[in-house]
Amino acid sequence: MINAITPSRELRDTCAIVGTATSKLGKVPGVSSLDLLMDAIRNALDDAGLKASDIDGVLCRGPDESYSHHQLLAERLGINARFSTTLTNGGASQIMSVALAVMAIRFGLANTIVCGFGRDTWSRTHASEEARVRNETRPESMLAREFGPEYGYFGATAAHAFGATRHMHLYGTTRDDFGEIAVAFREHALRNPDASMKKPLSIEDYHAGRLIVAPFGIYDCSLRSDAAGAVIVTSAARAKDLKKPPVMIKGFGFQNNTRGWFADDNMVVTAAKQAGEAAYAMAGLGPKDVDTAQIYDCFTYMVLTQLEDYGFCKKGEGGAFVSSGALRLGGALPCNTSGGQLSEAHCEGMLQIVEGVRQLRHLYPENRQVKDADIALISGHGGNQVCHSTLILGRA
Amino acid sequence: MMSDLVPKPKPRPAPESLPYWQAAREHRLALPKCEDCQKFWFPPSRTCPHCLSTKFSFENVSGKGKIFSFVTFHRVYRPAFANDVPYVVALIELDEGPRLLSNIMGVTHDQVKCEMRVEVVFDDYDEDISIPKFKLV
Repeated sequence: MINAITPSRELRDTCAIVGTATSKLGKVPGVSSLDLLMDAIRNALDDAGLKASDIDGVLCRGPDESYSHHQLLAERLGINARFSTTLTNGGASQIMSVALAVMAIRFGLANTIVCGFGRDTWSRTHASEEARVRNETRPESMLAREFGPEYGYFGATAAHAFGATRHMHLYGTTRDDFGEIAVAFREHALRNPDASMKKPLSIEDYHAGRLIVAPFGIYDCSLRSDAAGAVIVTSAARAKDLKKPPVMIKGFGFQNNTRGWFADDNMVVTAAKQAGEAAYAMAGLGPKDVDTAQIYDCFTYMVLTQLEDYGFCKKGEGGAFVSSGALRLGGALPCNTSGGQLSEAHCEGMLQIVEGVRQLRHLYPENRQVKDADIALISGHGGNQVCHSTLILGRA
Repeated sequence: MMSDLVPKPKPRPAPESLPYWQAAREHRLALPKCEDCQKFWFPPSRTCPHCLSTKFSFENVSGKGKIFSFVTFHRVYRPAFANDVPYVVALIELDEGPRLLSNIMGVTHDQVKCEMRVEVVFDDYDEDISIPKFKLV
């Protein structure tokens, strides 16, 4: 066995996030994912009081079909970058890019790095009848060759639903528990003028929603969004005299349960466990120190199991924990306070980082602010359900 | 009916899984078994993921196992399944260890539970392909 390695504590607090922003979120027809990301980056530069020429590093996740996405982005930014690459770790990429930025800055490979991600998923799949048809009638040659499609097995909803069923079987977790997650995040979205979802959601509405792949119904599933977000990372020294209060990068950790989602107990004890342990160790903190969690909520169940894996409650007690109201603003662990991917917009974890930074700046109006938030834990999840990243941020 | 005219996706065997499908055509469930560590694995590949040996052969398994987890499709993802919804896709854990996806035949979705015992049956797709499925025992 290889012992778990703690990312060097010497990296703790060496870098800060000094600018953050999003594009317009939700339905943004006629704008490519690259231009959405450019909107977020321009806004993030403005937020930090920096110019494009101050940036010498670009780390982004591109759409899978795009080659050297980071180059296309830097070209649009009008810069040559010293340290620049595209990451492909699914929804875990966004936190990984921030961690890579810290390492690059610490070792002198760059001074100020922009990390971001943009997608035009709503426009590509839902904006028009043509887009809808194109999305729903992909040729058989684009499906997996075998061991899935012949059984009618398609899509990420089903993959995650297998975990939900298993968790319900082992621990008695219910759809009421999943529903509370959807309802809490919708309530947060209603306080966020940029969020896609504007209508209140009750637990009755949740249960009345049509089933997609049971145990998941429509309200267990995240949104299809046009959305981009960006953060700007620089050294703690340089961060001191910029426009907004810097937010310190205290810890990060990663785990990839690459033996597969269906292997071992990976569906109910996710890679968040080891990623979180590594991040806590680097930050010198534990779950009791966390004031707000911004969790990768592709599906309701994934929030519940990650909260357990991060140690906010014991394994199997996630249902009771969320149903206590803990996740609500004002609760024990306000979670996905911008509405999350379930109700704000789905940008594969990027908006969770943005929201974590914003909470720690204490610049929100009272009805959105987690009171006295000093520490935020942020998660990223993806890559065939098994790649995980954790970021711990702290108020300077 | 419309969906009767749309065939369900036909497995397109990869080079490493061809013996699996040849066995299935003979209504045998055969998985790669390592000649060194004697363990089975799935999906088929040319290297044992337990010990990295490349000495293996496809051996019959008992065809018995249990439902590790399952989901019920209500949404029609492809027209070929329009008449099947709601239908179950289950993750079967074979007694020999490996887990594989399949359908549970002869039951409605509300009768399926984790840990139920199942055994393999074969669904003839055409003259080339038979698809391993499972029934409750």
